[in-house]
Amino acid sequence: MKPSNNKAVTQSSNQLSTQLSTKLSDSLLLPQAATATLELIINKALSLNNKSLSFTAVAQKTLTLELAELPFSLCFTVDNASSPIGVIVRSHAECSDCTIKTSISTLKKLKAKQSLTQLIKQDELDVSGDIKIAQQFANIAQSLEIDWQTELAKHLGDVPTHKLLQFGNKITKSLAATGKQLEADIGEYLVHEKRLVVTSSQINAFNQQTKDVANEVDVLSVRIDKLVADLAGKQ
Amino acid sequence: MSPTDQNSQASDLPTSPQTPTDADTSADKNSTTHFGYKTIEKDDKISMVAGVFHSVAKQYDVMNDLMSFGIHRLWKRFTIDASGVRPGNKVLDLAGGTGDLTAKFSKLVGREGKVVLADINSSMLNVGRDKLRDKGLVQNIEYVQANAEYLPFEENTFDIVTIAFGLRNVTDKDKALRSIYSVLKPGGRLLVLEFSKPEHELLNKAYDFYSFNILPKMGELVAKDGESYQYLAESIRMHPDQETLKGMMENAGFEQTSFKNLTGGVVALHKGYKF
Repeated sequence: MKPSNNKAVTQSSNQLSTQLSTKLSDSLLLPQAATATLELIINKALSLNNKSLSFTAVAQKTLTLELAELPFSLCFTVDNASSPIGVIVRSHAECSDCTIKTSISTLKKLKAKQSLTQLIKQDELDVSGDIKIAQQFANIAQSLEIDWQTELAKHLGDVPTHKLLQFGNKITKSLAATGKQLEADIGEYLVHEKRLVVTSSQINAFNQQTKDVANEVDVLSVRIDKLVADLAGKQ
Repeated sequence: MSPTDQNSQASDLPTSPQTPTDADTSADKNSTTHFGYKTIEKDDKISMVAGVFHSVAKQYDVMNDLMSFGIHRLWKRFTIDASGVRPGNKVLDLAGGTGDLTAKFSKLVGREGKVVLADINSSMLNVGRDKLRDKGLVQNIEYVQANAEYLPFEENTFDIVTIAFGLRNVTDKDKALRSIYSVLKPGGRLLVLEFSKPEHELLNKAYDFYSFNILPKMGELVAKDGESYQYLAESIRMHPDQETLKGMMENAGFEQTSFKNLTGGVVALHKGYKF
């Protein structure tokens, strides 16, 4: 098959799998289930927030996130009609103030403060519409301040919450220390020890060479025996 | 779902082993209509459906969650996603019942927009109004008790009209569709969310069994009204299937009509535009 034919087959199979996954997710209402869950989490987080946040700039604005890994969009709209203000998450919005096309891995880079411009230049991020809307949404998300201890104490009581958090902190510290140690060990292994480790191909080559030497020694031994015999015959 | 003839929503998951007969079909053309599997005088249907929904109004939301296992929330979300609603829009939530769609639309159209929650049944409307007010949704919602066949609005008023689980309770569906077409603005769209015909025979049988054996018992247990839920099951079975409803929308003047089956066709969302 020609390379161009191969490319066409790959493209059509990709299209087919995309169509199938979209149909399946639509049929099972997965986008609606996902957006409902996300909406619940966001609004719960907003209700627990202790810091004063201003939603004026994003009221009735919609931010659409199109992730390469998801067969549907995530559209976030801040509503100003209800009290308290909340966020509505939909899987489709015909009117969006800002649309970001990217992938989850790029979002992680954004969290790591990698340059937005650089990511756009690398075609990892495509922004259309008013980028200020996206920045304002991000600012709100970063400004959230939730006092988990107080919230937990409401359900468990002060002392159990204190003990639980103390235990949690210990576990976290212990896990962090274990993680660091593991990271150091792996680093050391990769940098120093891995170079010294003999690979299976090297062992095979060594075995082969050993066999070759043994064969040569056998041949030499036969020749020496023959020479000794010849010399003995002449004498 | 709410009862009254035309605009009430009813939430049940039914179908019966029976299908509409020729006599049933011809009944629509005369002075008679259906009330579940019964053929009755058209004039009687409004009061009979009203009776059903007056009876179930208070337990409506609980029953919806129980009967659909909560999936009705996802069907309604799908409707919102398909509505293309934007800030400033005017939306009519017909047979809006307890206001699930109205609540979402209210938040999406914002202060500049407006949502009219209309239902023919006063009990459903009261439950819906109380629920939305308790949620703090008061700024952009109006409540109207209205018959879908004779909508009390000027022509070209709304950007979007939705009728969720209500059309099958309407006495004259064609008249209601024409009335909806009239109040839609050019470019506006109608969304009909309604129980429909499951795509697969196996699902159809399971659905039948559930609708006619479990649903009425559930209604008896929770809402203390098994008969109403028997009616709801029957009315779903008597409702036009996907293609028929699409044709009815086209006859009423809607263009670019389409439908999307949800949960294997147990429910379908029909969409049509007025241009």
